[in-house]
This record gives sequence, structure tokens and C-alpha cells, in this order.
Amino acid sequence: MINAILRFSVERRFLTLSLILVLIGVGLWSFQRLPIDAVPDITNVQVQINTEAPGYSPLEAEQRITFPVETALYGLPDLSYTRSISRYGLSQVTVVFEEGTDLYFARNLINERLGSIKNALPPGLEPEMGPIATGLGEILMYTVEALPGVTQADGSPLDATALREIQDWIIKPQLAQVPGVIEINTIGGYDKQYHVTPSPQQLLQFGITMDELVEALRANNVNRGAGYIERNGQQLLVRSPGQLASIVEIEQVVIANRHGAPVKVSDVAEVGIGKELRTGAATRDGKETVMGTAMMLVGENSRTVAQAVAEKLETIQPSLPDGVKVEAVYDRTTLVDKAIATVEKNLLEGALLVIVVLFLLLGNLRAALITAAVIPLSMLATITGMVQTGVSANLMSLGALDFGLIVDGAVIIVENCIRRLSHAQHNGKLPLRERLQLVFEATNEVIRPSLFGVAIITVVYLPIFALTGVEGKMFHPMAATVVMALLAAMVLSLTVVPAAVAVFMGGKISEKESPVISGAKSLYKPALLVAMKLRWLVLGAATALLLVCIWLATTLGSEFIPQLDEGDIALHALRIPGTGLEQSIEMQSQLEQRLTAFPEVDKVFAKIGTPEVATDPMPPSVADNFVILKSRDQWPNPDKTKDDLVAEMEEAVTQLPGNKYEFTQPIEMRFNELISGVRADLGIKVFGDDMDQLLASALEVQEVLETVEGAADIQVEQVTGLPMLSVHPKRMVLSRYGLNVEDLQALVATGIGGENAGLIYEGDRRFELVVRLPEAVRRDIDSLAFLPIPLPDGSYVPLSEVAELELAPAPNQISRENGKRRVVVTANVRDRDLGGFVEEAQARIAQEVDLPDGYWLDYGGTFEQLQSASARLALVVPITLAIIIGLLIMAFGSIKDALIIFTGVPLALTGGVLSLWLRDMPLSISAGVGFIALSGVAVLNGLVMVAFIRDLWREQGDLVTAVVEGALVRLRPVLMTALVASLGFVPMALNTGTGAEVQRPLATVVIGGIISSTLLTLFVLPILYSMLHRNDRKHKAVEEATT
Amino acid sequence: MQLIKPLYWILVATCLAISPLHAAEDQHDDQDDHKEAQHEAPETKGPHGGLLLQQDGATVELQIFEQGVPPEYRAWVTKDGTPVTDDVDLNVQLTRLGGQEDAFDFAFQGDYWLGNGVVTEPHSFDVEVTLALNGKQYQWQWESHEGRTRIEADIAEQAGIRTAEAGPGSIERTLTAYGRLTTAPEQIARVRARFPGVITKVNVRLGDRVAKGDRLAQVESNESLKTYDLRSPIDGVVIEREISVGEIAGEQPLFAIADLTTLWAELQVFPGQRSEVAVDQKVYVKAEGVDQQATVNYLLPSPDNAPYTLARVKVENPEGALSPGLLIAGDIVVESLEVPLAVNNRALQSFRDWTVVFVQVDDTYEIRPLELGHSDGTLTEVLDGLQAGDRYVVDNSYLIKADIEKSGASHDH
Repeated sequence: MINAILRFSVERRFLTLSLILVLIGVGLWSFQRLPIDAVPDITNVQVQINTEAPGYSPLEAEQRITFPVETALYGLPDLSYTRSISRYGLSQVTVVFEEGTDLYFARNLINERLGSIKNALPPGLEPEMGPIATGLGEILMYTVEALPGVTQADGSPLDATALREIQDWIIKPQLAQVPGVIEINTIGGYDKQYHVTPSPQQLLQFGITMDELVEALRANNVNRGAGYIERNGQQLLVRSPGQLASIVEIEQVVIANRHGAPVKVSDVAEVGIGKELRTGAATRDGKETVMGTAMMLVGENSRTVAQAVAEKLETIQPSLPDGVKVEAVYDRTTLVDKAIATVEKNLLEGALLVIVVLFLLLGNLRAALITAAVIPLSMLATITGMVQTGVSANLMSLGALDFGLIVDGAVIIVENCIRRLSHAQHNGKLPLRERLQLVFEATNEVIRPSLFGVAIITVVYLPIFALTGVEGKMFHPMAATVVMALLAAMVLSLTVVPAAVAVFMGGKISEKESPVISGAKSLYKPALLVAMKLRWLVLGAATALLLVCIWLATTLGSEFIPQLDEGDIALHALRIPGTGLEQSIEMQSQLEQRLTAFPEVDKVFAKIGTPEVATDPMPPSVADNFVILKSRDQWPNPDKTKDDLVAEMEEAVTQLPGNKYEFTQPIEMRFNELISGVRADLGIKVFGDDMDQLLASALEVQEVLETVEGAADIQVEQVTGLPMLSVHPKRMVLSRYGLNVEDLQALVATGIGGENAGLIYEGDRRFELVVRLPEAVRRDIDSLAFLPIPLPDGSYVPLSEVAELELAPAPNQISRENGKRRVVVTANVRDRDLGGFVEEAQARIAQEVDLPDGYWLDYGGTFEQLQSASARLALVVPITLAIIIGLLIMAFGSIKDALIIFTGVPLALTGGVLSLWLRDMPLSISAGVGFIALSGVAVLNGLVMVAFIRDLWREQGDLVTAVVEGALVRLRPVLMTALVASLGFVPMALNTGTGAEVQRPLATVVIGGIISSTLLTLFVLPILYSMLHRNDRKHKAVEEATT
Repeated sequence: MQLIKPLYWILVATCLAISPLHAAEDQHDDQDDHKEAQHEAPETKGPHGGLLLQQDGATVELQIFEQGVPPEYRAWVTKDGTPVTDDVDLNVQLTRLGGQEDAFDFAFQGDYWLGNGVVTEPHSFDVEVTLALNGKQYQWQWESHEGRTRIEADIAEQAGIRTAEAGPGSIERTLTAYGRLTTAPEQIARVRARFPGVITKVNVRLGDRVAKGDRLAQVESNESLKTYDLRSPIDGVVIEREISVGEIAGEQPLFAIADLTTLWAELQVFPGQRSEVAVDQKVYVKAEGVDQQATVNYLLPSPDNAPYTLARVKVENPEGALSPGLLIAGDIVVESLEVPLAVNNRALQSFRDWTVVFVQVDDTYEIRPLELGHSDGTLTEVLDGLQAGDRYVVDNSYLIKADIEKSGASHDH
């Protein structure tokens, strides 16, 4: 079949070439649609169900909302697991589906289930699904700020409430229209509310209850339509407007009539613009601010959407009141642009280097151009493939592309064609037919080894597809892209390359042996002869090198997934549970001032607590800080590494009292929040009912773990510690006063939490009308005991008389998993093998921890992934090796030759290990991918070399001559493939731009490995071949007939 | 062969030497190496769960025992593996923040060596253990800190941490009760005509202020046909006038004169508060526009067997701003005393099971678990746990708590 394709390509060479145009067209079209992002998306298929429950404590939120919602989700198809947290005012259930489940399908299922439990939930509470976005979704954040000295219409300074109003009613509606934006999430400021704050004394004075006040407000705030009247042929609509529109109108509402005199709201209460009981705040550069986050719909192109949002922000600016500034503080475009620039630079420089090398070594510009043309063409084909398979262009997926590798096949073909053509032309110019035949033959001669080589490189990427979970999501795109590029190059070298050679190499082919090659040859021949004499020494040295490198490899550190440098810094500032929002803001202000003092820092902003849409439900004690750095040229010391900067920052901020920090990066942080599994090596989850018992059992588990050898960083999830003021009703006393528990609770809830008494409309804008006690009364918990509770007969009783006030710590949040409460104990493992540790821990815990009935344990953590990953790799890697050997045997029909070629793999790896060691880099999956690519290249080199030697041997019959001759003839292609492959990676290995850290280990390994592999191909392989075939006096014809 | 290696190294080296990125520099700053070796806390635990101190064959296991008893030191001494039960001079000296020193001598107690005295909380001190055994001296020293943190002065200043000196204070605890204003019977005078007759003249109108003896009206008696004056029996305001000229005055009251310069608040004291309220207690009377000091004059049971007691409080009303029927709040001072040591309530924080304040010694802050006495809205009496003159954190004390707890302060014995 290959013959047929080749012949077709050569015969119908113009048709073949014109196919290029189709390829270019499709490629360019695809390029427009290629999703571009900085990193691959590692979020799982999940749906968040948020239910806002104002005033609910964690216990109530769990009991009344979380539980029914979780129960409703039982038995969903493709459900992986559910987890939930219940916190003050919020219940969040996260539903995780099996990989590959369609998100929209999943959301539909959930929607249906949620509809069926509406009645089971407390009235007024509405579970809502989170935005359809992934961890990459937060593409742009902006702050709304007032310039200093700016005032509102009434002369008061523009405060957080006013800014929030601007955000909610001017900015957000406009931004939400931008295509690709699924949600504008607001945090910070205060949702404007109209507050009616009655004084308890005044209420008592007129014998009015809070309920009556609320009712009066509700009953006096409605517009009613009243149909229409037809009069004299004209239709008149009838309407009775009764809505309250201003503070004055609210004050005039009559609550009751006492002795003939109306009691108005203003008689018993103050009315004003008040602050909501908010759950989150935002700060910037040490000051409170209002912040919006644009979230991108899943599957959109983050660069496009972020740009569109940023442009929209620009156009919104003029529509804002004077003195209000909206400014994008985080823009994903920056990172994506930087990442793409890095990739582009690497690929361009790599491509240029490859072209130069080709030209130098081939000594023929046309041939070099033909070969180089494979680069853009296969790139276009790859892009088409990426679009079709849904792989986004990012640092990982484009990171492993090496044009050197891609053109390898083409190099070998073109080189051979030139060699054959120039030889043939010694007798003068060839007629067309002969030339075509020659091209066909020359291609055919080397196409098999090079096809096999490409096939083998493709095969070695297979183990990457065996990775699952986060690692899988990181590296699948990389492997997929490389395989696509290689396949594209393979097809091109079968079709376009021979066609182009046939068309364009018609003239006189002068194969000028370039000085580089002739120099190399004159060095190589004596060296090879010497080496063959000292063969035992060479083999011994190679083996020794291999052993040294194996030892070296064990001393290298290792990291599982490389850290992409996002260019900015994010840090969690953690305070003790129970820390209030205002306190957090104060602490935040000090922290931000300290951070902005760094000359490298451009701006610092933070989100504290939970935003409006609880995509990231944090308690008020936790702040997500974003530190946006200036571009490096503005740093006092542009060469300072980011690690150093982070270390300096950490030192500076650790001095601030009351905060604990976790440094990370914006996207990374978001991924962690969403994936949010147990991140320690071992997580022991205790499931059960009673929080106290769960905690007690967890502490027992912790105690046992502490005695297990190798355990480190043992922690019990912090579940308690939220101080709570409980108002316990005294039932007997209540009944004496003719009250019931609900009356009491309603009063406390309305008084402290506030009760919604309707909406105040201002045009489109609508604001809540809330009744609650004045701030001074609410905050004074000492005096709360004296809060008068009105009795039906108009008298009162103090709160302390009918209820017991108790201040005690309570659960700060309740976590559940798969529908059951749980507390997690986490531990890491030091200086011990993970498997053994987990086994011992399990055995010891089973023996020593006595769990009550209805309680059980579950073991999880990264150890599971590590175990399953190593189990899978333990299976897949040998299979891959077997496939490679199998392919080699197929190619040569000789196990011996296959094994000789295969020796190239471990020997190539030595160079990779050495170069990693020299650059002090750890072993990582990136490096691993490099090793994989390397094995492919090593085999390819060996293949070409051995195939040639064997052919020569068959022709000439003398083994040693054949080996030396063959090796010499193959010197040029071997050097060329090696040089192009390694030089193609040089820019990547040296680059320091954004995202380079992912590609650097890979490139380093390949460069080092190719150098060693080339040397080994050139010296060890001929030696091995001649040694192993010394006894085969005669070459068996049968052996060659295959392939 | 000779060619291979150098060639390899040259190639590798040229490729890598041009790299601007050298090995990532060692990030560990060895921050943990500040402490001197001898001051490190012993980490080994002994068979009784105490700290194991070892030196040249002599071991002391030292434990703070606090189950069922106030915290006390217990020790087990062994020499070359055999327990030593006599002839030991064991001494533990604790130096606390601020320089206070506690010394403990040990006596053998059948099973263990018992330190004399209670190890008071917080268990945060520098420990020095000396042991004289068979004429040989052994010594151990380490720091055992809890509930302690260090904050640089400028950062504390910036963070708004303010301290005050603990000292005497006066505590005034109040409870709030509500009630309506009434007038006392002696302050309302209803004026009737002594002899029935015709009103010939009325001198006052509703709301007029009258003095005692002022003429209110003239009545012509039916019997004597003499005209006599109706005079006001008290100073006050005319609040009722039932007659006009020409009417016949009979048995009915004609005028009501009320003296509103003093009113009575009847505060409702509920059973839960009753035991604390007594006659002669000070009361702050509050209503709209009024804030005056008064006294509980009487305590009487409420009418119609309502469950509360009425505290009658006399309220001055010279301006006439108050009127009967108005609801007023009274903050009854149920406790008022001078205490030798009190702390500001803002300084109080909960820490584990204790209520603590944070004392400041230079840049160091440490918890002081307190035994508290009386308290009001601003001050709380300290019975134990703090010395007069100690500087304690008043403003932003939460920050100190947050700082101590964030590092996962342990309470290890």
C-alpha cells in the first residue's frame, strides 16, 4: 500500500501538491476556532448547588437544606460522588460526575430533581446551580472605586454601598451581555437596603410589635392594576400605585391607631439606608472596594472573552457617575498572551534553527526548504486535529512539540533522495521518467524505517494516555498534540515530500558535501575504527555510564506535576475560625499595605468570605489575596526569581499578627478550590451522625496515627470554633406569658437578623426593605437579655425572663460527603513507603479505634491516585516496550537486530538524566515526556543505521566493511536528525518566559538525550552489530525478504 | 573511546552553559536554627507520658499532672535504669514572662516524686531542672511556651494594638426595666365645691399653672347664698376642668390640679431580676430627651397579681417635658463597687476554656487566664490571674488571640 501511495504521489505530483492548498485552507480556518488558554483545564465534571439561607446557622442549613438536596440527588446516572458544606447562611452541595459526562445533561438531571424537592425546603429558599464554568472560568476581575473626594448627590462621600449599587445596576447588566460570559459575580460593598430600625422602647410605648410593623410596611407598598374601562370608545387602564419610593414615604406609613391618633413608622423607628448582613467583602491596596469577577462559559476561548470583557469595561466607564473608576485588576489575556508568546517564540526559533541546520547539512537550499515546509504544514494539520478533538492550545499541549522531531521523517527521505539524485547525475541530467523512478526508489528505500520510527514515537506516547485524574488532564492534550503532529508529518512525508522532491529537484542537483559533514566524516571514520578495536572498553564505558545514570536518577528530586508560573501570586490569608468580617478587613488592610510596599508589586486585592454567587464559599476568616506583579523590567532587580520574591514576601507578611498564609497562584488556587479533594497523602474520613462523636473519633484516629512510623503533618479538620450565641427558650415561662417558642424565635430573628418587608423600587433598581433593631441594640449582647418582648396584652417581658442566653462554640461548618457527615484526618508520609504506611495505619486504626455503631471510616488521599497510577503505568510501560520491540522485529524480522536497536533506548536516557542532573532539575512528568520522546528518537536513529548496514552487508558480504561504510553513509542523516531534533528544543530549554518551566525539563532531557543517543548510535551500535553478527558467516536470505 | 567522553561533555556543557538559568537556589533559609541546642525542649516521652530528661545515665521524667487535682509536678528519677526513691535533690525552677520565678522542690510520695505547689496556668515558662544525685549535678534547661507570641513594636502600633495598665476600677452593673410614668395620689388634687351652688366665676383654664392658694373659681352657695372661693390646694397644673360659669356645682369634682414636677416611674421588675433589685438603688431613667439619675424609692407588688414587682422611682419633671403614661426605661444599678483590680471588657477574649487577657512585656504577649468577679458594660473585676500594674492589651486584643491560635498553640505537658 505504501508503494501505491508513494507511486501515486510521485506520478500525480502536482495533484498532491495542490492538496497542500486544501490543507492550508482548512488549517487557517481551524486556527480561527482554536480555543487558546494558558493551561489545560483540570476541573472535573461538577455542578455546585448553592442555596442561600439568610440567617441560618450551619446546623440549620444542614438539616433543612443540605440534607433534602443531597437526598434528592441519590441515584443520578453517572454520579461520582457528592460533597457538601453547610455554613452560616449557605448550603452548598457539589455534585461530581464521572469523567466524560456531558455537563448540560448533568445540570438537566439535577434541575429535574431540584424541582421535585421544592416543597421539602423551607419557604423562600431556592437552590440554584452555580455558573456553567470551570476552574479556568475566572477570566477577569475588576474593582469599582471612587476617586478621592468624590461625593454623592446629597454631599455624603461615595461609600461602599453606593459603589455596590453602581456595580449591580450599571456595570453588571452591561457586562453580562458580553458573549461567553456566564456570570458576573460581585463581592464587596453593601447591597443597598432600606432599613427600618424600631426602638424597643418606642414599640412598647405604643404597644406595637415588630410583626405589626412589618405587616404595615407590606400592606402599604403595592401597586395594583385594576383592569380597564372602555369609555367613549377609548380604553382606559386603571391602576392604583401604592409603592413606597422614598425614606419620607416609608416614615409616613401608619402602623396602628392609638386613641384616635395614627402611629406612624417615624414614631417608633428610624428609617435610612442600611448595610446588609453581608458574607463577603473585597479590598484593594489596603482599602475596601467593590469587585466583580467575570466568569467564562465552559468551552469558550478565554482570551477572546477576557478581551471582550475588558473592551466592554472601557465603554462602560463613561456611563458611570463622575469620579467613579472601574479598572480591570486581573485579566487572563495577559497570562494567555505571555504563554502563547512563549510557545510562539519557542516554535519559531526552533523552526528557524531547524531550517538553518538543514541548509547547512544538506547543502541544498531547495531541499532544506522542502523539508522545512513540513513544519508549517504539519502544524496546520495539527491545529485542525486539535479543533476537531477539542484540545485547547496551551502551554502543555503545545509544549512538547518539537519541529526537529516532526521533520525527522522528511529529513531522512530528502537526504536520501538528494544523495541518490546527485549520484545519478554524475552521468548528466536525468530524463523525467528516470528521475521520478529514482525519487520513488530513494523514498521507498528509507520510508519504512522512518515510518516505523514515527510509529514507534507515537507508540511511546501511549503510557501518557494511561494517566488519569488531574495528571491525565494535564498531559493528555500534550500527548494528543504530539501524536497528531507526528501523524501529520508522517502523512506529509509519504505524499507531499516525495512529490515536492520530484517537482522541485529537477535541475542539477549538486550535492555539495558541506564542510561540516566532511569534517565530521574525517573525524568519525578513524574514531569509529579505534572504537571498534577497543570495543570492550567502549561497551564497558557505556554500561558504566548507564549504571552511573541509573544511580544519578535516584538522587534527583521528583515532582509530580510541574508548576506553571502564572506570573502573579495568590495567597490565602487564614485567620482563626470565628473571626468577623470587619476584623478580617482590618487585618487585610495591614497585610495589603505590607505587600504593596514591595517595589515589584503592582496591585494587591483580595476577596474575603463568600461572594454573591457562592462559587467559592469561604468563611469571613479567610481571604484570597491576589498580588499582581509589575512587568519584570520595572523591578529594581529584574533577575530576581519569583521564588525569591515569594520567600521575601512570606517573610515580610509572617511578621503580621494573626494571619497564616498559603502561597499559590490565581488559576492554581481556583483549581484547588474546585477539585478540593483531600490533598494530603492519606486522608481518613470518619463518617457518622453526631458532630461531637465524629470529632472524638477523629481525635482518636489522630492519636493512633501519631504513633505510626513515618507520619507527619497530622491534622484533624477544623469543625468547631465558631462562637455562637444561643437563645434557648424557657418553655414553661413562655407559656405563663402566653407566648410560644415561635413568637420568641421570630422576634429574635427579626430583631437581630432582620426581616424582609418588601422591596423599594427605583426604576429598574430594586432594594430590600428590612426591619431590624438599631445597630446599637443589636451589637450590645450584654443588654440583649433586657430586650422587651411584647405580650398579647400590650405589656412586655424581658428576653432573659423567657429565654436562656448561652455563648458557646459551635460547628463553624458541617462537611458531608455522599450524604453523610464527615470529619477528615489528614497525614503526610515522610521517609517511608506510602503503601506500607497506609497498610499499617489501616491495621492499627482498625485494631485500636473503637467506633460506635453507625460510624465508619473511609481511606482516601493522594496515595490512592499514586497507587492506581503506578499500577497502571506498571502495566502500560512494559506493554509499550513490548510493542516497540515487536515493531522492530516486524521491521527486521530479526530479534537480534531489534534488540541491538533497542539498546539505544537506555543509552539515550543516560544523556537525559545527565542533563537534568547538570541543570539541577527534578524528575517530573514533563521530564518523563521528554524521556518518552527520546526513546522514540533513539530507536529511529538506530533503525535507519541498522537498516543501512544490513543492506550493505547483504550487498558486499563483508561485515566489518559494511558496518564502517554504512555508519559513514548514515552519519549525515543521523547527525541531521539529531541536530534538528535537539536544536529544535534549544529555545525551549533556554526560555525563561511564562510557562517555560513546564517545557524546560522536557527540552533539557531531549537535548541531553539526543546528544548521548547520537554518540551511542554512531559508536556503540556499529560495535554491537559487528560483535553480535560476527558468527553469522552468511547472511540468510530469508531474513531479509521480510518487510 | 578517548574521544567520546570529552566530546560528550563539551557538547553537553556548551548547550547548558549558555543557559541563563542556573540551578534553583536553595530556598531553605534555615529559619529554625535560631534556638541554641541546649534550650531545645526534650521531645522524648517517658513511660508515664512525661518529658524524659537524660544525661550520663541519670534520667528524670517530668510530668505536669492535672487530672482531678490542680496542676502539680510529678517526677520519676532513675539512675542507670533503676528507680531512685531517696537521696535526690530535684529542683525545678520556672521563669515566667515578666521575670516571675516559681521554684519547686520534690519529695518522694510512694510512687513518684511530687513537687511542692501548684503549677499555675498558663504553663508558659523557661524551665530549669537541676538534679543532685550521688554527689553529681545534672542540669537541663528548655523553653516551654504556650499562649505566647512576639509582635514587633512598630507592627503592633500599626495594627492598632493598644495596651493599658491593669488597676483599680469602679464597677456599676445595671439591669434594664421598662415601665410607665404615673403621678402619685398626693400630687393630684381634685377640687370639689364645699357647698353646692352656682359657679359665678372661673379663674383658670385647662393647662393653667396654679400655685397653692390661687383662686380657681367662685361659687355662690345654695344655702348661704354667699359667694366663696375655690382655691388650689397644691402647686400644679389644671388638668381637668368640668364646669363653666352658671353651672351648678354638686358632688362632682370640678377641677383636677396635678403637680407634674415630680412623676413616678413604675418599672416592671421580673422574677428573674427581682433578687437583685432593692430599695435605694440608683436608677438611670431614660426616655426620649430625658436622661436623669434617680433612686428606687419603693418596691411594691404589682396590681392584679401580674408576675412582676413594681419599682417606684421618683422622676423629676421641672420642665414638664414628661407626662404620665410615657414609657420609660430605667437602668437600675444593682451593683456598684470599687474593685482593686479590673480590666476593660474589650480586652477579654476566650482562649480554650478560659477567659483571658493578654499581657505585654516588651514585644512579647502572653495569655493570662483570669478568674473574674463582678462585671459591667465596660469593666470587669479580676480576682486572680493578673497583677495590678501589668500591661494588658485593650484594643485589638482579638489580633493577639488570632496570632497565638494560628500557630496551633499546643498545650503539651
